[in-house]
Amino acid sequence: MADRPTISWPNDAKVALWIAPNVEHYEYLPPRDALRNPWPRSPHPEVQGYSHRDYGNRVGFWRMLQVLDEHNVRCTASTNLAIFEHYPDIGKAMADRDWEIMSHGIYNTRYLSSLTEQEERAFYVDCIDTLRQHTGQDLKGMLGPAVSNTVRTPDLMAEAGLIYHADWLHDDQPIPIKVNDGPLISVPYSIELNDVPVFLQHHDTKDFVEMVKAQFDTLYEEGGTSGRVMALALHPYLMGMPHRIQGLEEILDYLLGHEDVWQATASQIAEHFIDHHYQEFVDHAEVIKGTHNAS
Amino acid sequence: MPAERSSGMDHSHYAYSPLPARAPLFWPDKQPLAVGALVLLEHYEWEPPTDAYGLRNASGGLIKLPAPDYVQLTHREYGHRVGIFRVLDTLERYGIPATVAVDQLTAIHYPWLVEHLMERGCELIGHGVAASQVISSKVDEETELQIIRDSLDTLEKVTGLRPSGWFSPEGVESARTPELLAAAEVSYVCDWPNDEQPYKMTTPLGDLVSLPLFLEVDDEFALWHRRASLASWESMIVTAASRLHVDGRTSARHMMLTLRPWLTGQPFRIRSLDRSLSQIMQLEGIWAAQANAIVEAFRNSEFS
Repeated sequence: MADRPTISWPNDAKVALWIAPNVEHYEYLPPRDALRNPWPRSPHPEVQGYSHRDYGNRVGFWRMLQVLDEHNVRCTASTNLAIFEHYPDIGKAMADRDWEIMSHGIYNTRYLSSLTEQEERAFYVDCIDTLRQHTGQDLKGMLGPAVSNTVRTPDLMAEAGLIYHADWLHDDQPIPIKVNDGPLISVPYSIELNDVPVFLQHHDTKDFVEMVKAQFDTLYEEGGTSGRVMALALHPYLMGMPHRIQGLEEILDYLLGHEDVWQATASQIAEHFIDHHYQEFVDHAEVIKGTHNAS
Repeated sequence: MPAERSSGMDHSHYAYSPLPARAPLFWPDKQPLAVGALVLLEHYEWEPPTDAYGLRNASGGLIKLPAPDYVQLTHREYGHRVGIFRVLDTLERYGIPATVAVDQLTAIHYPWLVEHLMERGCELIGHGVAASQVISSKVDEETELQIIRDSLDTLEKVTGLRPSGWFSPEGVESARTPELLAAAEVSYVCDWPNDEQPYKMTTPLGDLVSLPLFLEVDDEFALWHRRASLASWESMIVTAASRLHVDGRTSARHMMLTLRPWLTGQPFRIRSLDRSLSQIMQLEGIWAAQANAIVEAFRNSEFS
């Protein structure tokens, strides 16, 4: 970070802010996966966990939508694409608002981890086709379903024509990812500034609001030197709860109340980076690598 | 069966229903928010039947100890001996009539307590045989039917009243549970915490109503598993009720608190329940009600 080329966002914004509600369907009776059990509390069906998430699609999504609308947010919805099939009302609400749809797989209970190369190729075709069929949008990026991946994932994403991957938590700026046939970059997401890990733990709404503000303050300060990315990861079943929604209002009032913020979608960030900074970042990485080898 | 990619839910128990698309719901006298409490009397057996299934991550106790785990078992039994009276007193102080889920072994082993609950006007609902005998896909249909029947029959025998509601032990079901409950003529089930209003369930063996509990303020979920502070729990209850009270003016909401006497009934926790209730009951137009009354009002509203 200390020696990198400078990133400049449109209008000299200090922070590119993308807001990512995760719109998900967890299956009532998911297929068995040898590597991971989505519902370890009890044998399946696990109606408590299922219902908790189902609340998001019945109630929480709609309460959140009201707040997002009031703040004119254009979201990047991390979407299990079967949402468009199961809940056309939700699909329409997202499409009507021209939200960008980022793939979050098909279901949150179907993981990439155990797919063969051929199956994973077919998976991207499915994601691309499903999104195009329901919204006409071209799929640009992915957050792995329930953040699952394989070692082949970046190559296969790039091969399918996707340009960004949100599963890399290693930076505050987009970073080129080495793939056979690119470009593919990471757009920083967050598993810290994310309501799931925060509210899985004992933290309450007030703590989350403070975390978000502090994160933003630091990035906004540092963004004066070179542009930063901030992701706000939300889940309707948590943030859409009646005791949390006020927190989202506070967060959005605060973030969007700053002048030098570019409220963008993940693909806008990715495209801007690829058009203006990709090559210099690749060259810079080569220089750093050379320095290391020489020493 | 894994989900099929078509419109609606990936099971047949109820239809998908986004809240803003529903006809507005109204409680009696247009009160915006119904507040109720489901108090759980769960019996943990010292020696469960060898083929019984119990939750691996059951709450209570200190660490998972080899059986007999005196710490966990007696921690839970505190509720039946001491905590229940504190919880009921506190609810009564704020005029909230309790609904109590009583499992079969509680009904058998604590006859004095069941009589006491009846004298205090509590509504009793079915809660399986014991918390150490969970209904799940691990039990076969016959066993599950037996558990449902035994639980309801015993409560009816002891109290003279057939329970109209149901909460499965530990909130765990098999994929058959809704239809078996409907077949047993249960009117409503509390196993699905996915909404702020009751809704209709449809099964091949009859219909019933789902009365969702408010999972996030459930004492076990918030205080035991999430380890939220008591201050945070109080704030959740009060903030949620205030917001539901506002949203309920457009379409009425309900808030069912789930309270475990062994947990909330501890001396240091009861004050938090007291403080929360004292605040929410100051809101104008709170309808303090038992579960069956909420369900009945929902049925009347839906079919009016």
